[in-house]
Amino acid sequence: MFADYVLLLFTTAPRRAKALFNVCRGRRTVSTLFAGLTADRLAWLDSWHGVPLSKFEAAANELVQAGWLQIPAPGYLQVTPAGVDQQKKLTQQLYQPVAWAQFQEVDVRRFNVLNQLALQVVSEFSHQTNRYYPVTTDQGMQATVKLWFRRWHSPQLVSQVVAELTGFLTTLPSPLADVFANSLTGFDFPGQTDQQLAQLFQRTPVEILVMRKDLNCRWIAWLRQQPTGPLAALLQPLVKANPVSVSAWQTYQDFQQGASLAQIATRRRLKMSTVREHLLEAAILTPSFPFEQLLQPETRQLLAETYAQTPSLTQWRFEQVQAVAPDLDFFYFRLYQIMRCQRAAD
Amino acid sequence: MQQTEIYQLLKQKYGFDDFRPGQYDVISDLLAGQDVLAVLPTGTGKSLIYQFVGNVLPGLVVVVSPLISLMQDQVARLNYQGEKRVAALTSQVDFKTRQTVLNQLASLNYLFVSPEMLKQSLVLSALQAVQLALFVVDEAHCISTWGPDFRPDYLGLGALKQQLGQPLTLMLTATATQAVRQDILTQMQVPQAKEVVYSVNRPNIYLAVETVNDEADKRARLQQLVTSTATPAIIYFSSKKQTDLIADWLRETTGLRVAAYHAGLSGESRFKIQQQFMADQLDVICATSAFGMGINKADIRLVVHYHLPTTLADYVQEIGRAGRDDQQSLAVLLYAPGDEQLVRNLNDLTAASANEIQLDYQRFQHHQKPVDDLAQVLQFYWEHQYAVDAVVTRFNQRQRAKATELSQLMAYVQTTTCRRAAMLAYFDEPAPEHTATCCQLAGTGLPVTALGLQATARTVTATVTPWSTVLDQLFLQNS
Ligand SMILES: [Zn+2]
Repeated sequence: MFADYVLLLFTTAPRRAKALFNVCRGRRTVSTLFAGLTADRLAWLDSWHGVPLSKFEAAANELVQAGWLQIPAPGYLQVTPAGVDQQKKLTQQLYQPVAWAQFQEVDVRRFNVLNQLALQVVSEFSHQTNRYYPVTTDQGMQATVKLWFRRWHSPQLVSQVVAELTGFLTTLPSPLADVFANSLTGFDFPGQTDQQLAQLFQRTPVEILVMRKDLNCRWIAWLRQQPTGPLAALLQPLVKANPVSVSAWQTYQDFQQGASLAQIATRRRLKMSTVREHLLEAAILTPSFPFEQLLQPETRQLLAETYAQTPSLTQWRFEQVQAVAPDLDFFYFRLYQIMRCQRAAD
Repeated sequence: MQQTEIYQLLKQKYGFDDFRPGQYDVISDLLAGQDVLAVLPTGTGKSLIYQFVGNVLPGLVVVVSPLISLMQDQVARLNYQGEKRVAALTSQVDFKTRQTVLNQLASLNYLFVSPEMLKQSLVLSALQAVQLALFVVDEAHCISTWGPDFRPDYLGLGALKQQLGQPLTLMLTATATQAVRQDILTQMQVPQAKEVVYSVNRPNIYLAVETVNDEADKRARLQQLVTSTATPAIIYFSSKKQTDLIADWLRETTGLRVAAYHAGLSGESRFKIQQQFMADQLDVICATSAFGMGINKADIRLVVHYHLPTTLADYVQEIGRAGRDDQQSLAVLLYAPGDEQLVRNLNDLTAASANEIQLDYQRFQHHQKPVDDLAQVLQFYWEHQYAVDAVVTRFNQRQRAKATELSQLMAYVQTTTCRRAAMLAYFDEPAPEHTATCCQLAGTGLPVTALGLQATARTVTATVTPWSTVLDQLFLQNS
């Protein structure tokens, strides 16, 4: 059930539920990303794209009813002792995704469709047919695959594709390779739906869904390691250099080249607050972020002293430091939190 | 175009020697420059008509269609036939793709568009800039406020047709009574259009109604039917939840290959189930009647209605999926006393009292967004400056029309004489003589053996195919 995976999102420490749900839903506001960072759940970013917030909330309600989650304060959720036992049971029984971090750097959903269509096209081509129903009627996807097929069209294409698939599938533990293969579509092989795979492999449909999402991520990870084949080429344009959004990355690049925040704001015609948001996003998603360039030694010392008695940085209140340094911008407070979080993870 | 030329093109382009009933008449009228309202039973290949005309006349064929899923199926079918210059514009298409489609209109042959999309000024002005070969209104009965499927989005189509410079127009529907046909012509502002009406009668489909005591009895009878009768079969339900539940139950208890098919599934799952059904890898599909299936499978032997359809017109359309290969087929409607209340409840969902309508008008005046389906329907009227009284009258008319539809359906269910006669009377058609292969008269058994529709030997349930076998099957390598 979906709720089982929602339970695994939480720990015994209180977390802002909505922010964590929004991490899964792929919302990229700084406060959402920050919540993902502090809860160590950034790997789930965008993994449940398109699932409405209400579905998460309904699942959370079920878990509270079952006594596995509790509400320590309005808007917060934490795992109960009974929930810890349940989590242990679930992690043994349920399929656990291992490659969801790909969602941060790759347009996984687009690749899924392109991959499914490309494999269908090659399969039908190998059987010398051209009358078939394409898995997607999306014009853009069809055009991309058509171009790809033209570029890679050769007597070797079929064996190249089979080599890539075989190379990947042999790395997988059972029954994952069979799940992956049975879900494909091609010549005289419509492929199994998630519902049917669930019956075949005696899992729930949600578990199959998680497994297939993860299999696609694993497939992407494998193709990134083996970048010479035709499917790797299909993937390549969908890979970003890093998980930071394009606009924030540009701000960060300007900053790294020595521009001041004010200069960046003028040059890129951005509000100062936007420039700061961009840098915070970059800091959250880049462990090697040069925090010291922005946080002066005095600021760091001030913040370290103020919160010396509060080890859990999610419990820090900005008002505490404001009381001693009324002019300190929230930006530096948040940046320092991110730094502490990144460095603690190392 | 001469008759001989038309037949030559049919042979050359589609490989057929002859047209299906109605196709030739509609095509020759359109090629003679006549607007046409065509009432053709499902399975007569309506899309061949506009494809044929699109091949002969220069310009773009625009097809207005009410259901996104139907549109996607049509696009897929054209793709399948090798036609690549085809696109669909719906609310599901993102802005960038929409722009691309509009910029490439001149190089397209077919554009499928939802009525609400067609109303957008960007879309309309792009269409005004290209030559139109044909303007097709699919499921044209949706335009009639007399009809039970009325969609307010369809109301503005007559005016839009004017704005597009009065292109040659084809209105298509599978079922329409006299009153609905008249209304279509009025709304589309084409009083002079030619009407081509073909009989809805499908003599190779045996009509049966089985009255059962209750839900448990109905389930048992359904199970018995699908195990003892020839498949492939479609079972129609009125709710998604029941569709899933009974599909699971049938799969577990009969060993048949059964799948559920409804709007709640992902596009990928719908695609796979359609293809499995086409490839004879499924025996039974459990589907919601509200959800159209675009795949044309010729050898469906059995259509069962687990719940009552909304109208007799819907029923005729849904059972029309059976026996498109002209072989003997069977339609069974399972009826438990009180089932009609479910239809009444559904009808009530779209009903509104004068008070509710007045309240919604206040919502509109306060510039608040419509929150439910009803408000969305009403929104159309407010945006088009209808008075509250006029809307109340329309809603009352619609409710009366729906009540009438239900009583006509119940007349079919409960008739003690020939069912086919009762069905055809609804479409103002004369009845053929009742025979042994016509229909099941009240109180008689189902002559499955006499119809030659006994169940045949069935394959075993699916098993996991090892991945290396799948790859061998998918990719044929020259060894
Ligand atoms: Zn009869």
